[in-house]
Amino acid sequence: MSQKYYEDTVNSKLENKHAVERVSELVRVRLVECGWRDQVRLACRKLSEENDGFNNFDELIAVVTPTARAMVPDSVKRELLHELELILSNIDKLPSKK
Amino acid sequence: MNGCSHLQHFIQEEEGLKTYELLHGVFVISGSDERRQAKVLNAFCHVCDKTGIFLHVCMHCTFFACSQHIREHTKTRKHSFAMDITYGQVHCSQCGDYVYEEQLDNIARSNALLGDDVKKSVLELVWPRLHVEDKDWCNKTEKMVIDRTTHIGLRGLLNLGSTCFMNCVVQALTHTPVLRDYFFTEHHQCGTKCLITSLFRDFYTGEKTPLVLNEFLHLIWTQARHLAGYEQQDAHEFFIATLDVLHRHCSITLSGQPSASANKVYRCSCIIDQVFTGSLQSDVVCQKCHGVSTTIDPMWDYSLDLTPCATDGSLPTSLEDCLERFTGAEILGSNCKIFCENCQSYQESTKQFTMRTLPVVLCFHLKRFQHLNDLEKKVSTRIRFPEILDMTPFMTNQKNDNVLHVQLPYDNKYILYAVINHVGTSINAGHYISHIRYQDRYWYKCDDLVVSEAGIEEVLQTEAYLLFYHKYCLEYR
Repeated sequence: MSQKYYEDTVNSKLENKHAVERVSELVRVRLVECGWRDQVRLACRKLSEENDGFNNFDELIAVVTPTARAMVPDSVKRELLHELELILSNIDKLPSKK
Repeated sequence: MNGCSHLQHFIQEEEGLKTYELLHGVFVISGSDERRQAKVLNAFCHVCDKTGIFLHVCMHCTFFACSQHIREHTKTRKHSFAMDITYGQVHCSQCGDYVYEEQLDNIARSNALLGDDVKKSVLELVWPRLHVEDKDWCNKTEKMVIDRTTHIGLRGLLNLGSTCFMNCVVQALTHTPVLRDYFFTEHHQCGTKCLITSLFRDFYTGEKTPLVLNEFLHLIWTQARHLAGYEQQDAHEFFIATLDVLHRHCSITLSGQPSASANKVYRCSCIIDQVFTGSLQSDVVCQKCHGVSTTIDPMWDYSLDLTPCATDGSLPTSLEDCLERFTGAEILGSNCKIFCENCQSYQESTKQFTMRTLPVVLCFHLKRFQHLNDLEKKVSTRIRFPEILDMTPFMTNQKNDNVLHVQLPYDNKYILYAVINHVGTSINAGHYISHIRYQDRYWYKCDDLVVSEAGIEEVLQTEAYLLFYHKYCLEYR
């Protein structure tokens, strides 16, 4: 069985149980709470000044992404991993999509 | 907002609005089950098979791709527009950037109301107003114009017999923006007779008569017995005692039990700790093995020395000088050897304080009262202080050289909002007055009953005793 098959099976199971949405919502809320989003906004402004302004959105993303990724606090990463583990190990017990 | 000419052409000639509405409704919002199903089946990059990274859909053909590959597609196929399915923004390949258009925004907003809560928060839609709030707002008929002539929030305080020290501290506390705002809300749940809440609210009733703070004074006397009595007290001591009383009161209110004093628990969740507590890092470096021993302590206020510097006898002339000295490395002489764990013996060392975390409100206490051999001497050295203070040079990260972690763009600017001055020659004979910042721009001098206008230049010329700075940009911790 190919890698793709496994990936698809896992993905469809996750999708059926709203798992991805749950996790991404959790991460989003944590990142806002810990101030990461506002820090990234400040960093965007700072990097924009340093680069004499960005020509377009793609350039901004290219420059800011590495900094933004590095700024994610470890506590959020740990919580995310933990949440994923919990979901995957209990995948059959979760309520399904309607 | 008119987007670009290409977009206008697309809207007018090629039914752009209908296309956008459909694509947005199905792939960005996915309001119904079948739409969600359609999204699941289609949302992956046709080139690299990845899902979930900033996917886009081409608005001219049924092509889905991640942001990298969609650019290639739109260029090579000469399809101008692609929409990202996370936020619903439209990219124009001819302009090379995202474009914003009012009609598209309106469609997006009305679509978004059909989405679920998660989607709504991703798109940063404000929650719908509760009907209860609507009634409250409609019934408010009193309106007030706040301009240069309104003085709401300013009140004089009666002197109850040498209580000018208390009056100044109260003026400074009640005009601390974050603290005042907290006590205006319902966060402090302590019953209708809470002395602290009524103190804050009394200032803002709009009345101009001076307040009489006998109950407040009584509260501090019973809680801080060492300050009881009708003599003049040190404003700084009174300030710390007040903070302690408020801290205990607020933490009891929060948890129902008295919490440990500020020194034992680093920072409890009461408003006083949240606003006033910062942490000071103390590094002791052994001169023999260069091992560093670090301790971190909570601090409510910073007492700054005004005596001549030990090394070169120079006097500090500004607040920044005092802070430099406070956070500079101090060589502990041979009669103050510290026990080093590494060397297992007493060694000479250097000690350095740095600010590890800063509180929302910084209180600086200039040590003007020296107790030398039973003599009370007042140090009247003029210390210049700025209106805006940047604490970055005194932070722990700046002083250490190992910057391994990414520098977070924290803002360390503080703005002056209250100054307490002591007028007179000694601690027991003299008078305290305060200056406070009002409506963000104006300054008022509060001399017990009399509250009068003052200019910022005048304030900056005074011989300050206690300085209160408020953080300029509030951030999360």
